[in-house]
Amino acid sequence: GSREAVERLVREHPVVVFMKGSPAQPLCGFSNAVVQILRLHGVEDYRAHDVLQDPDLRQGIKNYSNWPTIPQVYLNGEFVGGCDILLQMHQNGDLVEELKKLGIRSALLDAEKDEEKK
Amino acid sequence: SPNPPLSCSPSPMRGPLLAAAGGAMGGAGGPLARTIRAKLTAALQPTHLEVRDDSSRHGGPPGAETHFGVLVVSGRFSGLPLLQRHRLVHEALRAELDGPLHALQVIARTPQQWQSAPCAPPPPPCLGGSKRDRRRG
Repeated sequence: GSREAVERLVREHPVVVFMKGSPAQPLCGFSNAVVQILRLHGVEDYRAHDVLQDPDLRQGIKNYSNWPTIPQVYLNGEFVGGCDILLQMHQNGDLVEELKKLGIRSALLDAEKDEEKK
Repeated sequence: SPNPPLSCSPSPMRGPLLAAAGGAMGGAGGPLARTIRAKLTAALQPTHLEVRDDSSRHGGPPGAETHFGVLVVSGRFSGLPLLQRHRLVHEALRAELDGPLHALQVIARTPQQWQSAPCAPPPPPCLGGSKRDRRRG
């Protein structure tokens, strides 16, 4: 739960999520929303940490980001927000752009290309 | 009250409790709802504000006041990215978030944004959480 330990976690992968439960089995509607949004964009390779398994991490991540709730999404080590923000980024196209900066091509771009072909 | 009257158009944030109580901004809801409303009004001078108790969606009894959704329309958000807008809301409710407020959905729009699109997505469905888990967040 220390700052250094959290720092290591947020930097270990371009996409890191602190949530309740796991991507395979989210235990909270807000955490599930984050998983579903990432899935829509074809992002299945990311680090997910279940804060319910680790009370020190649960408090540590809130201290680190100065953000009171879970889930928390980090892109390239930077805190982006929770489920509300990720949903709005998804809806306004910002998430596609942010993923592109990480070298991740959103699956939605391919879906659009398919639409254009029809 | 400095706030304008509630619009007559259907609101995505208007939960059954507020609607049943007439949806009045001034007095409906429990003590925490009123505190949230008062603090957000003082901090952000919203042109439109809705506060919804979502606790019953997360397994609590109606009026449990543990999970809330707020829709805040304020000129204070102009030029601010979403993260900073949400931080302003959290700052106004810091004591509550350190205390009884277990979860908070936030929709933060400028008056221009709200005018061009007066709608917001519904909250994600509860997945049950970990029922034995009484801690916040």
